[in-house]
Amino acid sequence: MAGAEAATESRTLSGTGPEGRRPRTKGVSEKGLGRLFVTPAILLMVLVALFPVIYAFVVSLRAYTGRMYEGWAGLENYTEALEDDKFWAALEFTFVFTVTSVAAEFIIGLGFALLMNQAFRGRGITRAAILVPWVIPTVIAAQMWFFMFNVNPGFINSVLMLGDFNWLGESGWVKFAVIFADVWKTAPFVALLLLAGLQTIPTDVYESARVDGANAWQRFWHITLPLLRPAIFVALLFRTVEALRVYDLPQVMTRGAFDTESLSMVVQQYVVQTPDPGLGSALSTITFVIILGVGVIFVSLLGRELTIGKAER
Amino acid sequence: MRRTVLLGKWAIAAAAGSLVVAAACTPSEDDEGDGGGGGELVWAIGGSEAQPGGVHQKIAELWSEQNPDNPITIEVLPDEADQQREQQANVLQAEGDDFDVLGTDVIWTGEYSQNGWLESLEDVRDQIEPNVLEGAFNSAQWGGELWAAPYNTNAGFLYYRTDLVDEPPTTWDQLCDIAAQVGQQEDIGGLIGQGRKYEGFVVNWLEYYWSAGGELYNEDNSEVLFDTDLATQATEFMANAMDSGCFAPGFNTATEEEARAAFQTGDAVFMRNWPYAYQLIQDEGDPQVANNFDIAPLPTFTGDGTISALGGFNNAVSAFSSNKDAAKEFVVWASTDPEVQQMLATDASVPPVLTSVYDELQNEPDMALLSEVLPDAKPRPPAPTWNTISVEMQDALFPAYNGDGDPAEASETVADAFNESVEE
Repeated sequence: MAGAEAATESRTLSGTGPEGRRPRTKGVSEKGLGRLFVTPAILLMVLVALFPVIYAFVVSLRAYTGRMYEGWAGLENYTEALEDDKFWAALEFTFVFTVTSVAAEFIIGLGFALLMNQAFRGRGITRAAILVPWVIPTVIAAQMWFFMFNVNPGFINSVLMLGDFNWLGESGWVKFAVIFADVWKTAPFVALLLLAGLQTIPTDVYESARVDGANAWQRFWHITLPLLRPAIFVALLFRTVEALRVYDLPQVMTRGAFDTESLSMVVQQYVVQTPDPGLGSALSTITFVIILGVGVIFVSLLGRELTIGKAER
Repeated sequence: MRRTVLLGKWAIAAAAGSLVVAAACTPSEDDEGDGGGGGELVWAIGGSEAQPGGVHQKIAELWSEQNPDNPITIEVLPDEADQQREQQANVLQAEGDDFDVLGTDVIWTGEYSQNGWLESLEDVRDQIEPNVLEGAFNSAQWGGELWAAPYNTNAGFLYYRTDLVDEPPTTWDQLCDIAAQVGQQEDIGGLIGQGRKYEGFVVNWLEYYWSAGGELYNEDNSEVLFDTDLATQATEFMANAMDSGCFAPGFNTATEEEARAAFQTGDAVFMRNWPYAYQLIQDEGDPQVANNFDIAPLPTFTGDGTISALGGFNNAVSAFSSNKDAAKEFVVWASTDPEVQQMLATDASVPPVLTSVYDELQNEPDMALLSEVLPDAKPRPPAPTWNTISVEMQDALFPAYNGDGDPAEASETVADAFNESVEE
């Protein structure tokens, strides 16, 4: 706001200035002024986002016994992390969790979004109802689902008449329960982002398609999906990155039992529970690099998507 | 262009929403007691008794009444010991003076003292040592020095249904026979305990291991006596009990409270739990259970004697407290004042450490059983590396008893963890 005002002011000044004079070169240019105004925000971001990352990296190069600093370790913590079976088991679970939960959330979220985009009676209430799970803090949702899946009191078992089925105490079903809880919690978030995308698709495109005789499936496949692609990428980016750093759901529901320990849980173990800040920071840096890598892939795909969209227009 | 703008708006709304949620989850900072020099004390302790109405709160009120210059308030920590330790560690690691008195689990003494987080209590040793139980007192020492004042102790009980079982079993095999027979007859579970993957599971496993005759260390914790054969026997017993239905459904997801819920609603014949449940089942249990249950010593594999893991909490003075003298007075008072110690027993079934209280309360069934069980109770080593050992035990033994790992291999892993702890 202030930047724009200042810019117009300087333009009018130079435009109406006395004849023969060159436009002011001493003052800050519009671009420079913009940069100046952005600087505090960037500094703040460096402070809160970049500093911890760099600090963790520095700590990951140090050796500790318990919480006591012992000296420089070089890359020893990294080799130790990569030789740890726990790390690989956690990596496997984290990837399985991410792929299955994000896929399910996307399909269900898309369904919700299409539903919410229709004009029907009670649409407002439906939208609000669908969003409820997303508003509940994850720890509380996790505790709730633990309670519902657990044998005692066995809410889900009594609804499905399964007797004493031990959802959280059987290899395999534990993962299902955790992923189920995550899908329940975050499908609405995906729906929200996709709904935003759906609402930007102009209705006249559908009208002309209808005139051309396209059926509902063809309209969905050839119009909705392609035009929704940027929104889909944003939704998948958000969800994938979040799923890769999952901590609270498995921590509360399983404590990592039956191979449901996520990368973040292993990091937490070494940073807090059985303290070895060097190893913990190395694991957290590795986790960061993995998430950053996935993020960069998504953003570059998204960037291409947007430029293609612009060029077509 | 319009599309991206709109999209951005939603994305921002979404991001802002998650920020609000995150903010709502962050525990609020304590806004009292850190004034420094005001004479106020903050006691960081957790569990259900730290909640309003709990016995720790009543004891804090009693102290504040008697010592208006140094009133004490409780900073309520989470229910589970692991999380309490994390919260205390976060403050102590930063050398914060938020807490003056720390309620510490018996297994934290070594770690805390080695980190330099505790004020030595050697100068008040004489006021405490002659008056409290030996096991509890030992758990407050590390390296021959006293670091905390024992506050309450703990031992495992076998809870059983008197309407379903005539005599409490004395061996684990007997228990499983009865559990199978009665459980099938009544269509309820057998034994419920603490089988979830956490510290409580290690406690339960150790009780099987110890009751098979196993040991962890020699007297001064300098030599490992871990026996892999006995460890395998203990794990195999648990694996079989899981398969055969001797353990109630949900055994491997239960902590203390899930176990109590299952037992007091009548879903299990037996329960392994701490004494705190005794009073609560009478107050909250299904009438059929509340009127028909009793407590007994935990069985062993041979049928001789009993074994139990020693639990409990000590009160330590933080090395970063700005009011150490008053804090020290408080921990000695909480450990040795007969009124306080008796309140623990009578108000909350929390086992006291003051020996004279047991003589006075001989007619209370839970206290009588405690004085029978406590002399044989074994402490987990309060070693600085105990948490690392415990996590390795959980990682190895939990899958092994749930059919996802080999018990003998798990025993080797645990043996390695113990051996490493001595080498270090």
